[in-house]
Amino acid sequence: MFVSKSMTTKVITINKDADIFEAREKMAEHQIRHLPVITKDYQLIGIVSDRDIRSAMPLSDYNSKKTSAKLAKLKIKDIMTIDPITISPLHTIQDALVLMQKTRVGAFPVVDEKGKLRGIISVRDLLRAFINVMGMEDPGTLMCIIVEEKLGQMKKIVDAITEEHISFGSIMVARYWDEEKRAVFPYLLTQNINPLKKKFKNMGYEVLDPMKWYIDQLPKND
Amino acid sequence: MKKTGFLFDERYLLHETGSYHPEVPARLQAVYQGIKEAGLLARLTLIHASLSDLKWIEAVHDKEYIKRFEMACVTGKSTFDCPDNQICPATYETALLAVGGILDATRLVMNAEIDNVFCAVRPPGHHAEINKAMGFCYFNNVAIAARYLQKEWGIKRVGIVDFDVHHGNGTQHIFEDDPNVFYYSIHQHPSFAYPGTGREFEEGEGAGLGFTKNSPVLPGKEDSEYKRLIKRDLFPVFESFKPEVIIVSSGFDAHVDDDMSDIKLSTEAFSWIIKSVVEMSDKYSNGRLISVLEGGYSLKRLPELAKNHVEILLDYK
Repeated sequence: MFVSKSMTTKVITINKDADIFEAREKMAEHQIRHLPVITKDYQLIGIVSDRDIRSAMPLSDYNSKKTSAKLAKLKIKDIMTIDPITISPLHTIQDALVLMQKTRVGAFPVVDEKGKLRGIISVRDLLRAFINVMGMEDPGTLMCIIVEEKLGQMKKIVDAITEEHISFGSIMVARYWDEEKRAVFPYLLTQNINPLKKKFKNMGYEVLDPMKWYIDQLPKND
Repeated sequence: MKKTGFLFDERYLLHETGSYHPEVPARLQAVYQGIKEAGLLARLTLIHASLSDLKWIEAVHDKEYIKRFEMACVTGKSTFDCPDNQICPATYETALLAVGGILDATRLVMNAEIDNVFCAVRPPGHHAEINKAMGFCYFNNVAIAARYLQKEWGIKRVGIVDFDVHHGNGTQHIFEDDPNVFYYSIHQHPSFAYPGTGREFEEGEGAGLGFTKNSPVLPGKEDSEYKRLIKRDLFPVFESFKPEVIIVSSGFDAHVDDDMSDIKLSTEAFSWIIKSVVEMSDKYSNGRLISVLEGGYSLKRLPELAKNHVEILLDYK
Protein backbone atom coordinates (compact mmCIF):
# COMPACT_ATOMS: atom_id res chain seq x y z
CA MET A 1 0.00 0.00 0.00
CA PHE A 2 2.91 2.32 0.61
CA VAL A 3 4.29 4.63 -2.01
CA SER A 4 7.70 3.14 -1.25
CA LYS A 5 6.48 -0.17 -2.72
CA SER A 6 5.11 1.24 -5.97
CA MET A 7 7.53 4.05 -6.73
CA THR A 8 10.36 3.93 -9.22
CA THR A 9 13.60 3.97 -7.26
CA LYS A 10 16.06 4.41 -10.13
CA VAL A 11 15.17 8.03 -10.75
CA ILE A 12 16.54 9.89 -13.74
CA THR A 13 17.50 13.31 -12.43
CA ILE A 14 19.14 16.48 -13.67
CA ASN A 15 21.39 19.17 -12.35
CA LYS A 16 20.16 22.74 -12.00
CA ASP A 17 22.98 24.03 -14.19
CA ALA A 18 22.34 21.68 -17.08
CA ASP A 19 20.89 23.14 -20.25
CA ILE A 20 17.40 22.43 -21.51
CA PHE A 21 18.57 20.38 -24.49
CA GLU A 22 20.10 17.90 -22.08
CA ALA A 23 16.77 17.70 -20.23
CA ARG A 24 14.88 17.11 -23.45
CA GLU A 25 17.29 14.36 -24.47
CA LYS A 26 17.03 12.61 -21.12
CA MET A 27 13.25 12.64 -21.28
CA ALA A 28 13.23 11.29 -24.82
CA GLU A 29 15.79 8.60 -24.08
CA HIS A 30 13.98 7.26 -21.01
CA GLN A 31 10.46 8.05 -22.20
CA ILE A 32 9.60 10.06 -19.12
CA ARG A 33 8.08 13.47 -18.61
CA HIS A 34 9.47 14.60 -15.30
CA LEU A 35 13.03 15.16 -14.10
CA PRO A 36 13.61 15.88 -10.43
CA VAL A 37 16.36 18.45 -9.92
CA ILE A 38 18.76 17.50 -7.16
CA THR A 39 21.96 18.55 -5.49
CA LYS A 40 25.01 16.32 -5.23
CA ASP A 41 23.70 14.74 -2.05
CA TYR A 42 20.30 13.93 -3.45
CA GLN A 43 18.50 16.88 -1.91
CA LEU A 44 15.48 17.80 -3.99
CA ILE A 45 15.41 21.42 -5.09
CA GLY A 46 12.96 21.38 -7.96
CA ILE A 47 11.35 19.50 -10.81
CA VAL A 48 11.27 20.11 -14.54
CA SER A 49 8.61 18.67 -16.79
CA ASP A 50 8.28 18.35 -20.54
CA ARG A 51 5.71 21.11 -20.38
CA ASP A 52 8.27 23.45 -18.84
CA ILE A 53 10.60 22.67 -21.71
CA ARG A 54 7.97 23.22 -24.35
CA SER A 55 6.97 26.53 -22.80
CA ALA A 56 10.59 27.65 -22.93
CA MET A 57 10.89 26.82 -26.61
CA PRO A 58 8.72 29.16 -28.66
CA LEU A 59 7.34 27.64 -31.85
CA SER A 60 8.26 30.54 -34.06
CA ASP A 61 11.97 31.27 -34.74
CA TYR A 62 12.59 27.66 -33.88
CA ASN A 63 15.55 27.38 -36.15
CA SER A 64 16.85 30.88 -35.97
CA LYS A 65 20.36 31.21 -34.70
CA LYS A 66 19.44 33.96 -32.27
CA THR A 67 16.75 31.81 -30.63
CA SER A 68 19.02 28.78 -30.47
CA ALA A 69 21.72 30.85 -28.82
CA LYS A 70 19.22 32.23 -26.32
CA LEU A 71 17.90 28.73 -25.61
CA ALA A 72 21.39 27.33 -25.15
CA LYS A 73 21.95 29.86 -22.37
CA LEU A 74 18.79 28.73 -20.53
CA LYS A 75 19.51 26.49 -17.62
CA ILE A 76 17.23 24.11 -15.78
CA LYS A 77 17.24 26.40 -12.78
CA ASP A 78 15.62 29.07 -14.96
CA ILE A 79 12.62 26.98 -15.97
CA MET A 80 12.13 24.44 -13.17
CA THR A 81 9.39 24.46 -10.56
CA ILE A 82 11.03 25.22 -7.28
CA ASP A 83 9.68 23.45 -4.24
CA PRO A 84 7.41 21.03 -6.12
CA ILE A 85 4.64 18.95 -4.58
CA THR A 86 6.22 15.89 -3.04
CA ILE A 87 5.04 12.80 -1.29
CA SER A 88 6.61 10.66 1.41
CA PRO A 89 7.57 6.99 1.05
CA LEU A 90 5.19 6.27 3.89
CA HIS A 91 2.23 7.81 2.17
CA THR A 92 -0.07 5.27 0.58
CA ILE A 93 -1.05 4.73 -3.03
CA GLN A 94 -4.49 5.98 -2.16
CA ASP A 95 -2.88 9.20 -0.91
CA ALA A 96 -1.05 9.47 -4.22
CA LEU A 97 -4.26 8.81 -6.14
CA VAL A 98 -6.22 11.47 -4.32
CA LEU A 99 -3.38 13.96 -4.53
CA MET A 100 -2.91 13.39 -8.24
CA GLN A 101 -6.60 13.77 -8.90
CA LYS A 102 -6.73 16.99 -6.83
CA THR A 103 -3.58 18.71 -8.06
CA ARG A 104 -3.67 17.40 -11.63
CA VAL A 105 0.05 16.73 -11.36
CA GLY A 106 1.25 13.57 -13.14
CA ALA A 107 4.21 12.61 -10.98
CA PHE A 108 5.48 13.28 -7.47
CA PRO A 109 9.08 13.05 -6.32
CA VAL A 110 9.19 10.89 -3.21
CA VAL A 111 11.29 12.46 -0.47
CA ASP A 112 12.06 11.43 3.09
CA GLU A 113 11.93 13.60 6.23
CA LYS A 114 15.38 14.97 5.42
CA GLY A 115 14.31 16.16 2.00
CA LYS A 116 16.38 13.52 0.23
CA LEU A 117 15.01 12.08 -3.02
CA ARG A 118 14.02 8.42 -2.62
CA GLY A 119 12.07 7.79 -5.78
CA ILE A 120 9.35 9.04 -8.03
CA ILE A 121 5.74 7.93 -8.37
CA SER A 122 3.70 8.70 -11.43
CA VAL A 123 0.34 8.01 -13.01
CA ARG A 124 1.93 5.08 -14.81
CA ASP A 125 2.82 3.39 -11.53
CA LEU A 126 -0.75 3.77 -10.37
CA LEU A 127 -2.06 2.31 -13.65
CA ARG A 128 0.18 -0.68 -13.22
CA ALA A 129 -1.12 -1.21 -9.69
CA PHE A 130 -4.71 -0.93 -10.91
CA ILE A 131 -4.17 -3.50 -13.66
CA ASN A 132 -2.68 -5.82 -11.08
CA VAL A 133 -5.53 -5.34 -8.64
CA MET A 134 -8.12 -5.98 -11.33
CA GLY A 135 -6.36 -9.24 -12.12
CA MET A 136 -6.48 -8.39 -15.80
CA GLU A 137 -3.40 -10.43 -16.60
CA ASP A 138 -5.15 -13.67 -15.64
CA PRO A 139 -7.55 -15.26 -18.10
CA GLY A 140 -11.13 -14.97 -16.91
CA THR A 141 -14.63 -13.63 -17.45
CA LEU A 142 -16.04 -10.44 -15.98
CA MET A 143 -19.61 -10.35 -14.73
CA CYS A 144 -21.77 -7.58 -13.32
CA ILE A 145 -24.55 -7.94 -10.81
CA ILE A 146 -26.60 -5.16 -9.29
CA VAL A 147 -27.21 -5.69 -5.60
CA GLU A 148 -28.83 -3.71 -2.84
CA GLU A 149 -26.46 -1.85 -0.61
CA LYS A 150 -27.00 -3.81 2.57
CA LEU A 151 -25.15 -6.05 4.96
CA GLY A 152 -24.50 -9.64 3.98
CA GLN A 153 -24.74 -9.24 0.22
CA MET A 154 -21.10 -9.92 -0.47
CA LYS A 155 -21.18 -13.14 1.48
CA LYS A 156 -24.12 -14.40 -0.57
CA ILE A 157 -22.33 -13.58 -3.80
CA VAL A 158 -19.08 -15.17 -2.71
CA ASP A 159 -20.89 -18.28 -1.43
CA ALA A 160 -22.72 -18.67 -4.73
CA ILE A 161 -19.46 -18.45 -6.63
CA THR A 162 -17.69 -20.86 -4.29
CA GLU A 163 -20.48 -23.41 -4.64
CA GLU A 164 -19.81 -23.51 -8.35
CA HIS A 165 -16.13 -24.21 -7.59
CA ILE A 166 -15.05 -21.06 -9.37
CA SER A 167 -12.05 -18.97 -8.35
CA PHE A 168 -11.90 -15.20 -8.13
CA GLY A 169 -9.44 -13.15 -10.08
CA SER A 170 -10.71 -10.00 -8.40
CA ILE A 171 -13.91 -8.32 -7.35
CA MET A 172 -14.77 -4.67 -7.82
CA VAL A 173 -17.66 -2.78 -6.34
CA ALA A 174 -18.75 0.43 -7.97
CA ARG A 175 -21.24 3.05 -6.86
CA TYR A 176 -24.32 2.81 -9.03
CA TRP A 177 -26.57 5.63 -10.26
CA ASP A 178 -29.18 4.31 -7.83
CA GLU A 179 -27.70 5.20 -4.47
CA GLU A 180 -29.28 2.26 -2.73
CA LYS A 181 -27.53 -0.14 -5.05
CA ARG A 182 -24.05 -1.23 -5.96
CA ALA A 183 -22.61 -2.72 -9.13
CA VAL A 184 -20.54 -5.73 -8.17
CA PHE A 185 -18.02 -6.96 -10.76
CA PRO A 186 -16.59 -10.37 -9.96
CA TYR A 187 -13.76 -11.35 -12.31
CA LEU A 188 -14.02 -15.12 -12.50
CA LEU A 189 -11.27 -17.47 -13.54
CA THR A 190 -13.44 -19.62 -15.72
CA GLN A 191 -14.83 -19.73 -19.23
CA ASN A 192 -18.13 -21.24 -18.17
CA ILE A 193 -20.25 -18.72 -16.26
CA ASN A 194 -23.70 -19.78 -17.39
CA PRO A 195 -24.56 -21.88 -14.32
CA LEU A 196 -23.51 -18.94 -12.15
CA LYS A 197 -25.57 -16.43 -14.11
CA LYS A 198 -28.64 -18.62 -13.68
CA LYS A 199 -27.93 -18.92 -9.99
CA PHE A 200 -27.67 -15.18 -9.48
CA LYS A 201 -30.90 -14.62 -11.36
CA ASN A 202 -32.61 -17.19 -9.18
CA MET A 203 -31.27 -15.38 -6.13
CA GLY A 204 -33.03 -12.25 -7.33
CA TYR A 205 -29.96 -10.34 -8.45
CA GLU A 206 -29.97 -8.39 -11.66
CA VAL A 207 -27.29 -9.71 -13.98
CA LEU A 208 -26.56 -6.63 -15.99
CA ASP A 209 -26.30 -6.55 -19.79
CA PRO A 210 -22.63 -5.87 -20.59
CA MET A 211 -23.51 -2.88 -22.71
CA LYS A 212 -24.90 -1.22 -19.57
CA TRP A 213 -21.86 -1.68 -17.34
CA TYR A 214 -20.05 1.30 -15.95
CA ILE A 215 -17.71 1.80 -13.05
CA ASP A 216 -17.17 5.55 -13.17
CA GLN A 217 -19.01 7.23 -10.34
CA LEU A 218 -19.20 10.83 -11.23
CA PRO A 219 -20.61 12.05 -14.51
CA LYS A 220 -17.81 13.72 -16.44
CA ASN A 221 -18.16 17.49 -16.84
CA ASP A 222 -18.77 17.68 -20.55
CA MET B 1 -15.90 -30.17 -56.40
CA LYS B 2 -12.87 -30.29 -54.14
CA LYS B 3 -11.22 -33.27 -52.54
CA THR B 4 -12.06 -32.69 -48.90
CA GLY B 5 -10.86 -34.76 -46.00
CA PHE B 6 -12.86 -35.39 -42.82
CA LEU B 7 -11.04 -36.33 -39.66
CA PHE B 8 -13.18 -38.01 -37.07
CA ASP B 9 -12.35 -40.72 -34.59
CA GLU B 10 -14.67 -42.45 -32.11
CA ARG B 11 -11.86 -42.32 -29.59
CA TYR B 12 -12.30 -38.54 -29.33
CA LEU B 13 -15.50 -39.31 -27.44
CA LEU B 14 -13.53 -40.96 -24.64
CA HIS B 15 -12.45 -37.67 -23.06
CA GLU B 16 -15.03 -37.22 -20.32
CA THR B 17 -15.61 -33.89 -18.60
CA GLY B 18 -18.29 -34.81 -16.07
CA SER B 19 -21.96 -33.92 -15.87
CA TYR B 20 -21.88 -30.14 -15.60
CA HIS B 21 -19.39 -29.26 -18.27
CA PRO B 22 -20.29 -27.81 -21.66
CA GLU B 23 -17.43 -29.49 -23.57
CA VAL B 24 -19.00 -32.93 -23.89
CA PRO B 25 -18.63 -35.91 -26.24
CA ALA B 26 -22.19 -35.24 -27.47
CA ARG B 27 -20.88 -32.15 -29.28
CA LEU B 28 -18.75 -34.27 -31.54
CA GLN B 29 -21.53 -36.75 -32.10
CA ALA B 30 -23.77 -33.86 -33.14
CA VAL B 31 -21.12 -32.68 -35.61
CA TYR B 32 -20.71 -36.17 -37.02
CA GLN B 33 -24.46 -36.80 -37.30
CA GLY B 34 -24.97 -33.53 -39.12
CA ILE B 35 -22.41 -34.49 -41.74
CA LYS B 36 -23.57 -38.10 -41.98
CA GLU B 37 -27.26 -37.32 -42.28
CA ALA B 38 -26.60 -34.90 -45.11
CA GLY B 39 -25.12 -37.81 -47.04
CA LEU B 40 -21.72 -36.17 -47.15
CA LEU B 41 -19.59 -39.02 -45.85
CA ALA B 42 -19.45 -40.69 -49.26
CA ARG B 43 -17.99 -37.55 -50.82
CA LEU B 44 -15.29 -37.10 -48.19
CA THR B 45 -11.91 -38.70 -47.72
CA LEU B 46 -12.32 -40.18 -44.25
CA ILE B 47 -9.31 -39.91 -42.00
CA HIS B 48 -8.71 -42.02 -38.95
CA ALA B 49 -6.38 -40.64 -36.28
CA SER B 50 -3.01 -41.98 -35.26
CA LEU B 51 -1.19 -41.02 -32.07
CA SER B 52 1.05 -38.03 -32.50
CA ASP B 53 4.80 -38.42 -32.17
CA LEU B 54 5.73 -36.59 -28.98
CA LYS B 55 8.31 -34.55 -30.85
CA TRP B 56 5.53 -32.51 -32.45
CA ILE B 57 3.89 -31.78 -29.13
CA GLU B 58 7.33 -30.76 -27.86
CA ALA B 59 7.66 -28.37 -30.76
CA VAL B 60 5.15 -26.20 -28.92
CA HIS B 61 4.81 -27.33 -25.30
CA ASP B 62 7.40 -27.72 -22.55
CA LYS B 63 8.47 -31.32 -21.89
CA GLU B 64 7.72 -30.84 -18.23
CA TYR B 65 4.17 -29.69 -19.01
CA ILE B 66 3.53 -32.76 -21.16
CA LYS B 67 4.72 -35.06 -18.38
CA ARG B 68 2.59 -33.26 -15.80
CA PHE B 69 -0.47 -33.67 -18.01
CA GLU B 70 0.19 -37.35 -18.51
CA MET B 71 0.73 -37.82 -14.77
CA ALA B 72 -2.50 -36.06 -13.90
CA CYS B 73 -4.48 -38.38 -16.16
CA VAL B 74 -2.67 -41.54 -15.16
CA THR B 75 -3.09 -40.83 -11.45
CA GLY B 76 -6.81 -40.26 -11.85
CA LYS B 77 -7.02 -36.55 -11.08
CA SER B 78 -10.28 -34.85 -12.01
CA THR B 79 -8.93 -31.49 -13.18
CA PHE B 80 -5.65 -30.29 -14.62
CA ASP B 81 -4.18 -26.80 -14.16
CA CYS B 82 -7.56 -25.17 -13.60
CA PRO B 83 -11.10 -26.17 -12.59
CA ASP B 84 -12.38 -25.58 -16.15
CA ASN B 85 -10.14 -28.37 -17.39
CA GLN B 86 -11.90 -31.55 -16.33
CA ILE B 87 -10.03 -34.73 -17.20
CA CYS B 88 -10.45 -38.47 -17.03
CA PRO B 89 -7.79 -41.20 -17.45
CA ALA B 90 -8.34 -41.28 -21.23
CA THR B 91 -7.82 -37.54 -21.71
CA TYR B 92 -4.08 -37.57 -22.33
CA GLU B 93 -4.32 -40.17 -25.06
CA THR B 94 -7.33 -38.45 -26.60
CA ALA B 95 -5.37 -35.21 -26.76
CA LEU B 96 -2.47 -37.05 -28.43
CA LEU B 97 -4.93 -38.52 -30.93
CA ALA B 98 -6.38 -35.12 -31.69
CA VAL B 99 -2.94 -33.77 -32.55
CA GLY B 100 -2.01 -36.97 -34.39
CA GLY B 101 -5.15 -36.90 -36.49
CA ILE B 102 -4.65 -33.27 -37.41
CA LEU B 103 -1.06 -33.96 -38.46
CA ASP B 104 -2.25 -36.93 -40.53
CA ALA B 105 -4.78 -34.66 -42.20
CA THR B 106 -2.16 -32.00 -42.77
CA ARG B 107 0.15 -34.52 -44.40
CA LEU B 108 -2.58 -35.48 -46.86
CA VAL B 109 -3.12 -31.83 -47.75
CA MET B 110 0.60 -31.23 -48.25
CA ASN B 111 0.90 -34.36 -50.39
CA ALA B 112 -1.93 -32.97 -52.50
CA GLU B 113 -4.01 -36.06 -51.85
CA ILE B 114 -6.75 -33.74 -50.63
CA ASP B 115 -7.33 -30.05 -51.11
CA ASN B 116 -8.67 -29.19 -47.69
CA VAL B 117 -9.92 -30.90 -44.56
CA PHE B 118 -12.26 -30.56 -41.60
CA CYS B 119 -10.88 -32.01 -38.37
CA ALA B 120 -13.68 -32.82 -35.93
CA VAL B 121 -11.60 -33.22 -32.79
CA ARG B 122 -11.80 -33.05 -29.03
CA PRO B 123 -10.40 -31.66 -26.84
CA PRO B 124 -10.07 -28.18 -28.40
CA GLY B 125 -6.70 -26.40 -28.41
CA HIS B 126 -6.53 -22.66 -28.92
CA HIS B 127 -6.43 -21.64 -25.23
CA ALA B 128 -3.58 -24.01 -24.38
CA GLU B 129 -0.35 -22.18 -23.62
CA ILE B 130 3.20 -23.53 -23.81
CA ASN B 131 3.06 -24.73 -20.22
CA LYS B 132 -0.50 -24.25 -19.09
CA ALA B 133 -3.81 -25.92 -19.80
CA MET B 134 -6.92 -23.73 -19.73
CA GLY B 135 -10.30 -23.09 -21.27
CA PHE B 136 -10.96 -26.82 -21.88
CA CYS B 137 -7.75 -27.05 -23.94
CA TYR B 138 -4.62 -29.16 -23.29
CA PHE B 139 -2.48 -29.32 -26.42
CA ASN B 140 -2.69 -26.43 -28.83
CA ASN B 141 -3.73 -28.46 -31.87
CA VAL B 142 -3.55 -25.61 -34.36
CA ALA B 143 -0.21 -24.29 -33.09
CA ILE B 144 1.31 -27.76 -33.35
CA ALA B 145 0.02 -28.10 -36.91
CA ALA B 146 1.56 -24.74 -37.79
CA ARG B 147 4.94 -25.73 -36.33
CA TYR B 148 4.70 -29.05 -38.17
CA LEU B 149 4.16 -27.21 -41.44
CA GLN B 150 7.16 -25.01 -40.73
CA LYS B 151 9.57 -27.73 -39.64
CA GLU B 152 8.53 -30.71 -41.71
CA TRP B 153 7.34 -29.00 -44.88
CA GLY B 154 9.42 -25.83 -44.85
CA ILE B 155 6.35 -23.62 -45.13
CA LYS B 156 7.44 -19.99 -44.80
CA ARG B 157 4.08 -18.33 -44.26
CA VAL B 158 1.29 -19.97 -42.26
CA GLY B 159 -1.96 -18.05 -41.88
CA ILE B 160 -4.23 -18.86 -38.93
CA VAL B 161 -7.83 -17.63 -38.84
CA ASP B 162 -9.61 -18.14 -35.51
CA PHE B 163 -13.34 -17.44 -35.52
CA ASP B 164 -14.17 -19.16 -32.25
CA VAL B 165 -15.97 -16.58 -30.10
CA HIS B 166 -13.21 -16.72 -27.46
CA HIS B 167 -9.82 -15.23 -28.22
CA GLY B 168 -7.17 -17.90 -28.86
CA ASN B 169 -4.71 -16.63 -26.29
CA GLY B 170 -2.56 -19.76 -26.55
CA THR B 171 -2.12 -19.60 -30.30
CA GLN B 172 -1.46 -15.88 -30.24
CA HIS B 173 1.18 -16.12 -27.52
CA ILE B 174 2.94 -19.07 -29.11
CA PHE B 175 3.47 -17.15 -32.35
CA GLU B 176 3.61 -13.66 -30.90
CA ASP B 177 7.19 -13.04 -32.03
CA ASP B 178 7.10 -15.18 -35.18
CA PRO B 179 6.75 -13.20 -38.42
CA ASN B 180 6.19 -16.41 -40.36
CA VAL B 181 2.85 -17.21 -38.74
CA PHE B 182 0.03 -14.69 -39.01
CA TYR B 183 -2.56 -15.09 -36.28
CA TYR B 184 -5.96 -13.48 -36.87
CA SER B 185 -8.81 -13.74 -34.41
CA ILE B 186 -12.32 -12.35 -34.25
CA HIS B 187 -13.96 -12.82 -30.87
CA GLN B 188 -16.08 -11.26 -28.17
CA HIS B 189 -14.39 -8.23 -26.65
CA PRO B 190 -11.97 -9.19 -23.86
CA SER B 191 -13.57 -6.83 -21.36
CA PHE B 192 -16.74 -8.89 -21.68
CA ALA B 193 -15.58 -12.43 -22.32
CA TYR B 194 -13.10 -15.13 -21.52
CA PRO B 195 -10.12 -15.15 -21.62
CA GLY B 196 -9.75 -11.37 -21.37
CA THR B 197 -7.13 -11.06 -24.11
CA GLY B 198 -7.29 -10.14 -27.78
CA ARG B 199 -7.41 -6.38 -27.72
CA GLU B 200 -6.91 -4.42 -30.93
CA PHE B 201 -3.59 -3.16 -29.61
CA GLU B 202 -2.14 -6.68 -29.53
CA GLU B 203 -0.36 -6.87 -32.85
CA GLY B 204 2.63 -9.08 -32.13
CA GLU B 205 5.97 -8.56 -30.41
CA GLY B 206 9.52 -8.04 -31.60
CA ALA B 207 10.06 -9.64 -34.96
CA GLY B 208 6.42 -10.71 -34.95
CA LEU B 209 5.06 -7.19 -34.71
CA GLY B 210 2.47 -6.77 -37.42
CA PHE B 211 1.77 -10.49 -37.72
CA THR B 212 -1.07 -10.68 -35.21
CA LYS B 213 -4.44 -9.02 -35.69
CA ASN B 214 -7.43 -9.00 -33.40
CA SER B 215 -11.02 -7.96 -34.05
CA PRO B 216 -12.79 -7.68 -30.69
CA VAL B 217 -16.60 -7.58 -30.99
CA LEU B 218 -18.93 -5.98 -28.47
CA PRO B 219 -21.64 -8.12 -26.82
CA GLY B 220 -24.94 -8.34 -28.65
CA LYS B 221 -23.45 -7.81 -32.09
CA GLU B 222 -24.59 -9.79 -35.11
CA ASP B 223 -23.74 -10.85 -38.64
CA SER B 224 -23.21 -7.39 -40.12
CA GLU B 225 -20.59 -6.49 -37.53
CA TYR B 226 -18.66 -9.72 -38.10
CA LYS B 227 -18.72 -9.25 -41.86
CA ARG B 228 -17.65 -5.64 -41.55
CA LEU B 229 -14.71 -6.46 -39.28
CA ILE B 230 -13.51 -9.45 -41.28
CA LYS B 231 -13.57 -7.38 -44.46
CA ARG B 232 -11.83 -4.49 -42.76
CA ASP B 233 -9.26 -6.42 -40.71
CA LEU B 234 -8.64 -9.89 -42.16
CA PHE B 235 -8.83 -9.44 -45.93
CA PRO B 236 -6.11 -6.77 -46.22
CA VAL B 237 -3.66 -8.47 -43.90
CA PHE B 238 -3.88 -11.81 -45.70
CA GLU B 239 -3.68 -9.95 -48.99
CA SER B 240 -0.28 -8.68 -48.03
CA PHE B 241 0.85 -11.74 -46.04
CA LYS B 242 -0.16 -14.26 -48.72
CA PRO B 243 -0.17 -17.39 -46.55
CA GLU B 244 1.05 -20.56 -48.20
CA VAL B 245 -1.32 -22.64 -46.08
CA ILE B 246 -4.30 -21.54 -44.00
CA ILE B 247 -5.26 -23.20 -40.73
CA VAL B 248 -8.68 -22.34 -39.33
CA SER B 249 -9.66 -22.54 -35.67
CA SER B 250 -13.35 -23.21 -36.28
CA GLY B 251 -15.44 -22.52 -33.23
CA PHE B 252 -19.21 -22.25 -33.55
CA ASP B 253 -19.92 -20.60 -30.21
CA ALA B 254 -20.68 -17.15 -31.61
CA HIS B 255 -24.06 -18.51 -32.70
CA VAL B 256 -27.11 -16.74 -31.26
CA ASP B 257 -28.32 -20.05 -29.81
CA ASP B 258 -25.00 -20.84 -28.17
CA ASP B 259 -24.95 -19.95 -24.49
CA MET B 260 -21.24 -19.42 -24.22
CA SER B 261 -21.19 -15.88 -25.50
CA ASP B 262 -23.28 -12.76 -26.00
CA ILE B 263 -22.67 -12.68 -29.74
CA LYS B 264 -25.65 -13.35 -31.95
CA LEU B 265 -24.47 -14.81 -35.22
CA SER B 266 -26.90 -16.59 -37.52
CA THR B 267 -26.19 -19.97 -39.11
CA GLU B 268 -25.69 -18.18 -42.44
CA ALA B 269 -22.91 -16.01 -41.01
CA PHE B 270 -20.76 -19.06 -40.36
CA SER B 271 -21.17 -20.10 -43.98
CA TRP B 272 -20.11 -16.63 -45.06
CA ILE B 273 -17.04 -16.80 -42.84
CA ILE B 274 -15.73 -20.15 -44.08
CA LYS B 275 -16.59 -19.26 -47.67
CA SER B 276 -14.45 -16.14 -47.35
CA VAL B 277 -11.56 -18.13 -45.93
CA VAL B 278 -11.86 -20.78 -48.66
CA GLU B 279 -11.73 -17.98 -51.24
CA MET B 280 -8.55 -16.68 -49.65
CA SER B 281 -7.06 -20.16 -49.65
CA ASP B 282 -7.80 -20.44 -53.37
CA LYS B 283 -6.20 -17.07 -53.99
CA TYR B 284 -3.06 -17.44 -51.89
CA SER B 285 -2.55 -21.04 -50.76
CA ASN B 286 -3.46 -23.19 -53.71
CA GLY B 287 -6.63 -24.15 -51.89
CA ARG B 288 -4.70 -25.63 -48.96
CA LEU B 289 -6.87 -25.19 -45.89
CA ILE B 290 -6.99 -27.13 -42.62
CA SER B 291 -10.08 -26.47 -40.54
CA VAL B 292 -9.94 -27.62 -36.92
CA LEU B 293 -12.89 -27.71 -34.54
CA GLU B 294 -12.50 -25.59 -31.41
CA GLY B 295 -15.64 -24.58 -29.44
CA GLY B 296 -19.35 -24.62 -30.25
CA TYR B 297 -21.73 -25.89 -27.61
CA SER B 298 -25.26 -25.81 -28.99
CA LEU B 299 -26.11 -29.47 -29.56
CA LYS B 300 -29.15 -28.24 -31.47
CA ARG B 301 -27.22 -26.12 -33.96
CA LEU B 302 -23.99 -28.06 -34.38
CA PRO B 303 -25.33 -30.60 -36.90
CA GLU B 304 -26.41 -27.94 -39.40
CA LEU B 305 -23.36 -25.77 -38.77
CA ALA B 306 -21.03 -28.72 -39.36
CA LYS B 307 -22.89 -29.77 -42.49
CA ASN B 308 -22.75 -26.27 -43.98
CA HIS B 309 -19.09 -25.94 -43.11
CA VAL B 310 -18.15 -29.17 -44.85
CA GLU B 311 -20.37 -28.49 -47.87
CA ILE B 312 -18.52 -25.26 -48.43
CA LEU B 313 -15.13 -26.94 -48.14
CA LEU B 314 -16.30 -29.51 -50.67
CA ASP B 315 -18.22 -27.56 -53.19
CA TYR B 316 -16.65 -24.26 -53.48
CA LYS B 317 -16.42 -23.24 -57.13
